[in-house]
Amino acid sequence: MELKDKVLENLKRVLDPELGINVVDLGLIYGIDFPEEETVHITMTLTTPGCPLHDSISSGVKYSLEELEEFKNVDVDIVWEPAWSPERMTPEGLRQLGR
Amino acid sequence: MIPSQSANETNIKLPFSFIFLSIISILGAQALLLLHGDSIVNGQFRIPGIWSAAHLFILGWALMVAMGAMYQLVPVAFLTPIWSEKFGFIQLAVTAIGTFSFAHFLFYNPQKALIPGIITMIGILMFLFQMLMTLRKQAKPNILTLYVGTALLCLLATIFLGVTMLTSMKTGIASSHYLAIFKSHLLLGTTGWFTLLIFGFSYKMVPMFSLSHGFTMKPANYVYPVYVIGLLTAIVSFFIESNTLLTIALLLMFIGFTLFMYHISLIIKKKLKKKLDRPFTFALISIISGGVIHLAAFLSSLFGVFNQTAGPLLFMYLIFWIAFSIIGYLYKIVPFLWWTAKYSKEIGKKEVPALKDMIDERLALPVFVFMILGMAGVGLSLFISSTAVFFPSQILFTLACILFCAAILKIITK
Repeated sequence: MELKDKVLENLKRVLDPELGINVVDLGLIYGIDFPEEETVHITMTLTTPGCPLHDSISSGVKYSLEELEEFKNVDVDIVWEPAWSPERMTPEGLRQLGR
Repeated sequence: MIPSQSANETNIKLPFSFIFLSIISILGAQALLLLHGDSIVNGQFRIPGIWSAAHLFILGWALMVAMGAMYQLVPVAFLTPIWSEKFGFIQLAVTAIGTFSFAHFLFYNPQKALIPGIITMIGILMFLFQMLMTLRKQAKPNILTLYVGTALLCLLATIFLGVTMLTSMKTGIASSHYLAIFKSHLLLGTTGWFTLLIFGFSYKMVPMFSLSHGFTMKPANYVYPVYVIGLLTAIVSFFIESNTLLTIALLLMFIGFTLFMYHISLIIKKKLKKKLDRPFTFALISIISGGVIHLAAFLSSLFGVFNQTAGPLLFMYLIFWIAFSIIGYLYKIVPFLWWTAKYSKEIGKKEVPALKDMIDERLALPVFVFMILGMAGVGLSLFISSTAVFFPSQILFTLACILFCAAILKIITK
């Protein structure tokens, strides 16, 4: 399994507790980068700016990746541009939303 | 890509303490209303027991809930941390001492209610100062800041007028304007403070709970001026004793509220969630109730019977619009608070419950049905002056409140 796939697999364990859908299927993950050895940088968003679950979800992403032995540093950047839109959701995410 | 500001969660104990105290208040207020059923049905609202119940309900329950919710929501909705949590806990203590002693003295000895009233006022002023210091740090004020900021100003004016009334009772100062001050106090406290606050936070919470996207925010720019001009016009009409101006004011407020309903319907049309949950639907239904009561207030004034209907309409406004909105949103906010306290450090490490698992939504339906039936009965009993209708209805509503409080408290066992 490629490193990026491993990261995605772990990120799928982080669910938005309001929707019950994981951050990958929700389309919240904008980028996965490895700027240097043993470091992963996640660029992500939330469904709305000022989401009350801001801290919880970003911490969850961090915790889920810290478990991987490949990384000593996990950086999470939450961005609002470009804004999240439903088009970013995966078919599985849309299915879970009942659409 | 624009990086976000760091998030700013409040110490969970602060909002929770407000919500816990509010539970005591709502149960106390309902018990007092039950004890004074005869007076309520006979239209005798201005007696110590009802004053006490009304202030316990409005200050002890609705205001405490609003304060607790704001301590949680302001930092996340406005991306700004609370100015001082330590100050928040001191404010909590002062407000709680003031509110409960105020309700106590209003019941037993209204002439001595001035000092507890002042303590309550200090508590609320501390809250306003806290919010002012918090909001002024907001990097980019927006239309929601205007709604919430104006609501806070209305709260300040409500408290000022309330203390003026108490001073007037004690010293006779401004006694010639007592009725106008009293009416303005009620109007600013309900439509100014609560309605504008609910408007403001609804614009944040409705899209969040329905997962709506791609909606316009333009109508919010019209809702605010129309509603606020109506509110100010009504206050002027109280002081110059003009029924025509009051009718115009109530029409403007009705139009403002209708624009808000229309705007919320536009947001809901863009929802991604197929099915909305019950507590949130309940909060949405309360918006319609608010609109209907605004229409009834306007029509009453138009046909010259507003003086007779104002009391029951205000009572229904407090329950069907303000209380039901708060209750609907509390079903969402309290599970979130507890979830954050208990599981935010576990998410990503192990399986954690969803927010909907934190509270039994099946129980919400009977609670809401009992509340609606109970209050519809109480409202009817006021119009037909029937104690036979009042008591079973008020008992039903009190039972629903007990069930609601039990459901809220049960969350902390999850």
